[in-house]
Formats: sequence, C-alpha cells, structure tokens
Amino acid sequence: MTLTHLPERSTTPAWANDPVGLEIMWSRLMAIADEMWSTVLRTAVSSVIGAAQDFGCEILDAQGNGLAHASRSMPVFNLVMPVVTRAMLSRFPVEAMRPGDVYVTNDPWICAGHLDDITTVTPVFRNGRVAGFASTVAHATSIGGMLDRVRARDRLEEGLFIPPDYLYRQGEPNHTLFAMLEANVRSPEMVMTDVAAQVAANDVGVKRVNAFLDEYELDDLRELAAVVQQRSEQAMRRAIAAVPDGIYRNQEAVETPSGDVLLKATIIIDGEEIWVDYAGSAPEQPVGGINCTFTYTRAHTAYPLKCLLTPSIPSNEGCFKPMHISAPEGSILNAGPYASIGTRTKTGWHSHGLIFGALAKAMPVRVQAGNGLMHGLYAAGREVDGKPFTMYFFTGGGRGAGGGKPGLGYNCFPSSAGNIPVEVFESRVPILVEERSIMQGSGGSGALPGTPGHRFRLRRLPGSNADVRLYLHPDRLRHPAPGLFGGGNGNLTRVLLNERDITNGTGHMASGEVDLATDDDVYTSETAGGGGIGEVPDSPG
Amino acid sequence: MNTSELPQHALSFDVGGTFTDFTLVDLASGSVIAEHKELTDAEDPSRSSLAGWRELIAQGALDPAALQLVVHATTLVTNAVIERKGARTAFLTTYGFRDLLTFGREQMYDIYDLFAPLPEPLVPDELRIEVDERVTRDGTVLKVLDVDRAVEAVQSMVNAGATAIAIGFLHSYLNPDHEARAAARISEAFPDLDLSLSCKVAPIIGEYERFSTTIADAYVKRLVRVAVGGLVESLHREGLAADCDVHIMTSSGGIVASSDAFQRPIRLLESGPAAGALAAAFHGKLAGRTNVLSLDMGGTTAKACLIEDGKAGLAPVLEAARVDRFKPGSGLPVIIPVVDLIEIGAGGGSIARVDEMGLLKVGPESAGAAPGPACYGLGGTLPTVTDANLILGYLSEDGFLGGRMELDRTAAANAIGGLAAQLGLDMEATAWGINRVANEAMAAAARIHAIEKNRDPRAFSLLAFGGAGPVHASAVARILGTREVIFPPGAGVASALGCLVAPLAIALARTLPGRLDTLDWEAVDQLYQEMETEAMSSLAAAGVARERVSMRRSVDLKLSGQYHELTVDFEDADHTGPRPRLEEDFVRLYSDRYGRMLTGLAIEATTWRLNATGPEGAVQLQAGEPGTADPSSALRETREARFLGRGDGLIEAPVYLRSSLRPGMALKGPAIVEEANATLVLQPGDAGVVNPYGAIVVAIGEPQ
Repeated sequence: MTLTHLPERSTTPAWANDPVGLEIMWSRLMAIADEMWSTVLRTAVSSVIGAAQDFGCEILDAQGNGLAHASRSMPVFNLVMPVVTRAMLSRFPVEAMRPGDVYVTNDPWICAGHLDDITTVTPVFRNGRVAGFASTVAHATSIGGMLDRVRARDRLEEGLFIPPDYLYRQGEPNHTLFAMLEANVRSPEMVMTDVAAQVAANDVGVKRVNAFLDEYELDDLRELAAVVQQRSEQAMRRAIAAVPDGIYRNQEAVETPSGDVLLKATIIIDGEEIWVDYAGSAPEQPVGGINCTFTYTRAHTAYPLKCLLTPSIPSNEGCFKPMHISAPEGSILNAGPYASIGTRTKTGWHSHGLIFGALAKAMPVRVQAGNGLMHGLYAAGREVDGKPFTMYFFTGGGRGAGGGKPGLGYNCFPSSAGNIPVEVFESRVPILVEERSIMQGSGGSGALPGTPGHRFRLRRLPGSNADVRLYLHPDRLRHPAPGLFGGGNGNLTRVLLNERDITNGTGHMASGEVDLATDDDVYTSETAGGGGIGEVPDSPG
Repeated sequence: MNTSELPQHALSFDVGGTFTDFTLVDLASGSVIAEHKELTDAEDPSRSSLAGWRELIAQGALDPAALQLVVHATTLVTNAVIERKGARTAFLTTYGFRDLLTFGREQMYDIYDLFAPLPEPLVPDELRIEVDERVTRDGTVLKVLDVDRAVEAVQSMVNAGATAIAIGFLHSYLNPDHEARAAARISEAFPDLDLSLSCKVAPIIGEYERFSTTIADAYVKRLVRVAVGGLVESLHREGLAADCDVHIMTSSGGIVASSDAFQRPIRLLESGPAAGALAAAFHGKLAGRTNVLSLDMGGTTAKACLIEDGKAGLAPVLEAARVDRFKPGSGLPVIIPVVDLIEIGAGGGSIARVDEMGLLKVGPESAGAAPGPACYGLGGTLPTVTDANLILGYLSEDGFLGGRMELDRTAAANAIGGLAAQLGLDMEATAWGINRVANEAMAAAARIHAIEKNRDPRAFSLLAFGGAGPVHASAVARILGTREVIFPPGAGVASALGCLVAPLAIALARTLPGRLDTLDWEAVDQLYQEMETEAMSSLAAAGVARERVSMRRSVDLKLSGQYHELTVDFEDADHTGPRPRLEEDFVRLYSDRYGRMLTGLAIEATTWRLNATGPEGAVQLQAGEPGTADPSSALRETREARFLGRGDGLIEAPVYLRSSLRPGMALKGPAIVEEANATLVLQPGDAGVVNPYGAIVVAIGEPQ
C-alpha cells in the first residue's frame, strides 16, 4: 500500500497574498463588467441609456457583495446593486435559485431611490451552486405615473412599483410581469427593449465569470471578493486616517415646492473610520418627490467620500466598510414606504456640497465648491400623425472650483451621464433647439472662479403642429451653488416661458409642466453656475 | 521611360515621434535594399526626411530615378493637434451654438476624479462666430442663410488673425446647401483662407463630433500643405521623377495622392498605427494566415488589431489629443474611418509600481525614451518592463539594438529591488510579476478587442512585432489560448514596410437615415454616385484607372431607436436586391453579437459607407529555399533566463542570432532569438520553424 500525500487545502489560497496574481484576477473581472456595460450601450434604444449612458453594471459575489463594476458605470448605481442583490437573496433563498433565473425590481428603497431605475440580477451558476451574480441597473425612459413630478404626493402617483420578482424563471419569461410592465409605461417598446439589453448584458457577465472561474479553478467568487474587499478597506482606512480627526458640520437648504427645508450633516472622523449622520435634517416632505430613500442617501454619501479619499481605487464593498452612514427614520433622507421620491436628486445631490463644505477645512485642496448641477428635461407628447414621443434632454451644470483649479467646464456630476446631441434630440422629437450658450459671468467669483451656467432655448418645431409638453424639476432656483473659502456663489437657475420667469421671481414652481402650445412659445432655461474658491485677488492699482 | 533598363525601387519613410524610418525595396527581387533611421526633427520633420533621403543616396543605395513608388507616413497631424501647432482657426456656425465646442459631451471620463480636465477646443473663444440660418431635422430650410452676414463675420475673424475657417451648421449632413453657399462666397472674398466644411469632412449626425472633426481639418491644412507639399517639391528637385508622386498614408490604411491629402488632411491622423496593421496583414498572408491578431508593443504602448480575411477592420471615430491618453472621452472626437485597433499603456518603458491596495500595477505611466528604463543608463531610476525583461534573462546586456546599446543590469536590479521590498517579494519574483502583469494587460486588451467583434481570439494566429512585442508574445498567446505565434522578420521596423504594401484607397461615409422598409433607394443611389465620383477623382489623382478600383459598400444598421450600429456589407444599391439580404445579414450579425434578436422593431440605416480600393502595393518578398532544420549555426550563446512552467529559477537556454537563421531551421523552446531591434522569446514546449520569408512560425506549447 502506498501512502499518498494529498495536498492539504489551505484556508487561504496562494493568490490571496500574491500582489501579482490578485491584480491579474481582479482586472479580469473589471474587464467583464466593462463588457457588460458595452452590451447595454449598444443594444439599448432610449436616449437616456444609449446617448446619456445613465446605467451601470457590476459583478458581485454569492453573498451579494460588490466586487467589480464597469469603469464608466453610474457611480451611485455601483453602490445600490449590492443592496438589491442582497435583498433578492433574502427573498429568494439561494438554494431555490436556478440557472436561467433573472431577478428584477425597481423598489426605490432597495434600488436607486426612484421608480425609474430598474435593476436586473442574474445568478452565475457553477456545479449547481450560485457562485456570484451579474447585475445591471438602468434608467427606464418611462415607468408610468404622472409626468409632472413636482406635484406628486406619494410614490403611487409616480408610476409602477415592481417588487423583487422573477423576470425569468429557469429561462422562462414571467409573462405576467412583462405584460404588467408593458401595459403601464409610456413608449413600451423602448422600455421593453432596454430591459432586454439589461438581461443580455447580465448573460454576457454570467458567461464570462464562468470562464474566469474555470480558468482559475475556483468554485465561486467568495474568496477573491474577501481578499479584494479587505485590501480596499485597508486602503480606505489609511486614507481616512490621514484626515485630521474631528467633528465637522454643515447644512444646506433644499428647495421644496412649499418652501425651503434644511439638510444637516455631522461628520466625525476618528482614526480610520468616518461617521456621517444627518440628524436634524427636515422630515419627509408631503409633496414634490424630493424625498430620498436611505439606500439612495447612503450611496450619495459614500460616493463623494470615495472621490475625496481614494479616487484611484475601483469601488467595491470593502471601500465602504469604514464608513458609517445614518439618517433619522422618517426624515427627508430616510423616507417612509409611501413617500414621493420622483425628484430625489433635488435633495440627494446636495449631500455632495454638504460633505465638501463640512470637510473643507480638513481637506482644503481636495474638496470642490458647489456644482451648478445637471439639468434634465423630459419632453413628451404626440407628433401630428398621433405618434407619441418621450425623450430626455440632459445638459450639465457649471462645475465648482476645486483641486487647486478653477471650475473646469461642464459635466453632469454627480451623475456620470453625458448630454444629448441637439441633432439627435431634434431628429426624435418635434422640438427646435434655438440656443445653447454660456452665460458669461454667471459662475462664482474667486481666486479660482466657478464655471458659468448656460442658457438653452427651445420651441415647438415650427409647422409641426405637434402636441409638445416639457416636464422639469429644476434645482438652485433659490439657493446658488456655494463658493468656498470666500469664493462667490454661482448664479441661480432661471426658467422662462416667452422671456418671463415662470416663477414670477419667487423661485417657487408649483408645477413642473410647461406646455408649448403654439409655435411662438419659447422656453428658456438658464442653469446655475458653479461656486468659486478663495477671494478675488485685489486687482493691481 | 524604359523600365526594363532601370532597377525598380520603392521607398517608404515613416516619420515617428522619435525616429524617421526609411525602407528601400527592390520591386523585382522583393528584397529590402536598405533600412535607415534618422532622428526626427521635431521643429521641421521634413528636414529629417530630406536628410535621410540624401544619406541613402550618399550610401549608394538610393537612385531617385529608379523609384516607382514613394510612400510617406507622418505623425505631423497627430502632433500638431497635441502640441497646438496648427493654424489660427475660426469657426462659423448656426446662430445660438458657438459655445458647443466648450460644452462637448459634458461627461465625466473618470467617475472618481472630480477635477479631470476636458480638452481645450482648437478654436479660441474669440474666433467662434454665429450666423443666422437654420435647417431642421428633415433637411427643410427654416431660416435662409444670411450670406452677407457670413462674409462680414469671416472678415472680422480674418481681421483677428484667422487663417483657416471651419464651417459647421446644424443638420448639414442632411442639407449641405447653406454650408456650400457660405463657402462659395467666402472663398471668393478670401481666396487665401483655408476652408473646411462639415458637410464634406464628416457628413454624420451629431453636431459636436462633426464640428470637432471639421475644425481639426481646417486647423492642420496649411501645416500639411506647407510641410508635406514642401517635402514633395524638394524630393522632385532632388531627382524624383516628375511622374512619380509621393503617396500619403491615411488613418484608414489606404494611401492617397499628396495633392488629395491636402484637401482633407485630417485623414492623416494616426496613420502610423494603420501602417503597422497593414504590415501585420501582409506578413500574415506570407505565412498563409489571413486571420491574425497583431500585437505591436513599443516603448510606451501596446496595440492589438484583429485582421480577418487579410484585412483590418475600420472604426468610425477616434479621439485626438487625449488629456489622459488611455481614458476614452478625454480627447477631441474626430469622425474619420480609422483602422480599428485597441491601444493600452503597456510598453517596454511602462513603469511598475505598488498601488494603494498593495497590488502590482504596470503602466500606463511610461519612462518613454527619456529618461527611459533604468537599464538604459540615461537617468531613469524607476522599474520598467524592459528592466524586468533584462533581469529575467530575456534581454542581453550587450546585444540590445544589435549591440549598439548596452544595458545596465545593476541599474535594473536597483530599480526593481526597491519595488520588491515594497511588495515583500524577492527581486526575480518581482521582475516575473511585472512581466506577467504586462502580459495579462495585453491579453485582456486583445481579448476585449476580439470579443467586441464577436470573435474568439483562439481562432487567430498572434503576429508579434514592435520593439517589445516578441519578448511577450508566446506568454500572451498562452493566456489568450492562441495556438500559433508568427514573428515577422524586421519586427522592430514593420510599419515602414506596411506603407509599401498599402493600397491606394479612400474610405467615405455619409449619413442618410431611414427605415429599411420605407427607404428612398433612389436617394441612396444618388449618395453612392456622389461618393463614387469623389473617390474616383481622388484615386485618379493618384493615377489609378477606373477599372482597377474595387468599390465596397457597407451600411450602418440598427434597430429603430438604438444609438449604436452594426456595419453590414452589401453588394450594390439595387432597389430590390439587397434589401432582404441586408435585413437577413443584420439579424444574423446582431444575434451573433448580442445573443438574442429583438423582434418588433424596425431596422434603420444611418450611415452609408464606401471603401474604394485600388491595387495593392507592388512589394513582393522573395521566398528563400528551406535548408537544414538544424539551427546550431545561428547559435550565439546560451543564457540563463526564467521561463513559464520551469519553476522559480533561471534555466539555461540557447540564444540565436536572427540574421543567421535560414528558412527551414527549427527552434525548440525554451529559446531566445536576437535581432537588430527586437528580442524573441520561445517558451518551453514551443516549436518554431523559419518560413521561406524569414518569419518564425511558432506552434505554442501546452498552457503554463
């Protein structure tokens, strides 16, 4: 009889401590997420996905922890896919999952904070077990409900709610759900095609992750995830430790249809950990969709912290372990299950300014003065032949100064979307864009000035006789992008119909609908400028 | 001219950032008569071109009267846009849209970098002028162009010093009338101005990209005319026959007459990589392979290009002057057909470091040529891929660049030793790690490039060239699962040969949107007639007869509403014939690529493309007679090096001189082959044979 020495299976695989092997494996997973991303981009049909790129893709381990996201994923989506996946796991036990399953939800309390973002999650199966997940979130062009989000009183008015469910069960479509979705959205063919793009992207992810596991002879992604997350966490801890300990506070006003309310943040940096608490912020608001679900608040807190602390590390679950984020239940940043949430960016996007302002003294060179913020228009109506149309038109805001530089042009931060070309927009909707120009002097003054805002003007396409309505929920009508260290604020946003301020100078919009009833009606918006940094140096003489 | 009396020669010169490479070929024998390198004169590249020309004459290699073909590739346009050396250019556009150049696409190209800068537009703020005019989405004129105002506007820009004007009006891809009328009056009033029209340069929907392309074209026009035109005149003065034109390499891998290049000079952008891809296709064919994946690894970057049926694919757009070279979205978009390749920051000079996570990263930062890798001894102290390859025994300390350069092993060891201490690895393990991470990065890029075209890289032969490519190719092949690697001869100077095998060719594209089921095929016919006339006039300028031109048509198709298309080839624009075929081909391609086909959506055409190609370059390499399989006569020495699957230590391996290898000789890995500008590595299990054209064709051994 021969004594065979079986190699003992060590608890930690050899590559776990190998800075070369680990780099190679993790890069491979990021490349897979990028491939998923390009599948969505190339097969989606809506402008919001195909042109503006409002979506994200991620690979997660079998416990639903994020491991690798696409390099151009929407930042906030990267933070919600793990939440959605874990929610799926809590509702659909992992033992009951089967190859060919695809899960779906748009539940804003676990997903991206409004009904419009649909998440799909597909398990990666290996030897009959779930080895990980591929997930995609994308902004649906319509989810039904009222178009004028400014007037919504609860989320039931804002469209279809899809509780976590099967989209496919062992490869078979959930016909009821598909039919329900199709029957409850505007431009159903567009929405259904975009959902198909998400499913196709997940398929690609599943296939590639399986090939990856084959190559490395792994049963699942768990060990790799644990190691990567641990190293990311350590890097984040070191970055936090480099920031002076202390308690930092800030507050910022949020514009609601019925008046201003406050957001308050208290940030505690203690050694290697950071606490962000929003105690003292306003309660949930009854109208206007400006409430944030906590998942959304958490994502928009973690993202700016990540930009400040470890901008060069790809995001994954480990980065966020040293962060403790809380908001009082029932507050505008942790809204209850029926709150209206459709314009939540008007609140959630202010977490960035809140955090940058609070940490300005602690990290003076890394923070950014207030951003003018992206302006989104939603155009809907019918061509003269009865054909309905719906389309988004995004334009970025003026950037705040920061990083030792003046505001550097325009982008849609804190969204990673891009704008939509005027020619493409016009080719799809009966609207004529007459102007897109910089409003010189509208950026915050300072040693480092902010980027000015811009003006765009449009009207119904003359002679089209189309039914054209616009829906908008502009921000910074009353509160400008703040400057830092003595820098000036940016100019306010203005919205004009036929050259008259539609808020009559009050900065209050009771409705977000603008009807372009005739060829002569001209809509103009002037977006907010970015904030400046530092006082303007005295001019010589 | 009695050609039978004179030798027939072809000359290419490829102006790169550092060197200008010359290759002189005898067309009758197919042999390379001379190769020459000249340091590129950054101020005036034509000076170095002329210097090399004179040097080749002085050497007795070049007889200008014998030249049948002269091809010129240049980084002039690429560098002019990066270094902002073009003309003071003005932009005339539709009222309300002058600031569009500043807005760009308003997208973050790095989602965690709050302060990533956007590229500075080529036209300064004060030279952007608007004029009243408007065309709508279907080409209808809503507001007639105010031509007088346009001329006044141009006058003011000329007064402000503009010497070039780009004209870009909204929807001019559908209705070019306003741009054409403005141009007619402007060129009448200002005959010396350089003028570029968006409806001519890039008649494609999407105003920012179209205008950006048009501006870049106007921006480099004078520069190209003066530099290239001056050079061509000089060459004719110095003996080049009057009937032998100098042809210019373009981004799409075709060459055009120099006079034609002046008309639309933006097509000269990135012509060097296109030449490399052509050389790869050429060498692949000589080895009997029409499906190859080329891997061109130089000092700063590695480029991979998929070649199918002997041809590289074309991509519709590229970015010039990126703020961050490897971040898409950080450059100025230019819509021209360009050889479709993927470029990553992994070259011989790429710097290795430890990131915040404690992981080993290689590139994209590069030590470049100066200070260069630590082992060059030119002042570099950071560890690079080349340093790692020296430590691993792949590179020779005394045989680098054919013995012209010595490498400093101690300097390499010091550089890598520092990194090793940070990683907690020993020096050799660190060098091995750098090599592996670089291999993985190249393999990942090549795989993504292939997968995006729905191709399995395992079905391709890897063709390795560039100064650093052949060291890594055998290991990269294993990662990709590729079974064969081809090392062409002269791997360090392949691009110059690529110029000589390039066909005279022109690629054109125009937007004419419409659903396939309701398409106006007469308008499509009209479009193709116009494009063919344009292509023919270009090719005729280069002396190509109509009957020798092949016209390939393709169209970008998508499902109604999508923003991204698939390009489908079709035979002709017959009104009834191609339509069902187009639908069928699109459905097949779409299902292949994306797994599932969506039904119920109409198929839409957007951009119609024409590739007009003349005869290929006349260069034929001569085949040698295979002789003995024994390579021992080419053995230079044995050297210790680290190889795949042979443990952590170094093992003894034979080192061959490529110049002594003869057709038929067989090589077994582990082995190293040294040539003037590159080093080839065969890993254990590899079996190579020198083919009649001097390429080494290697069957890859078992995976590591």
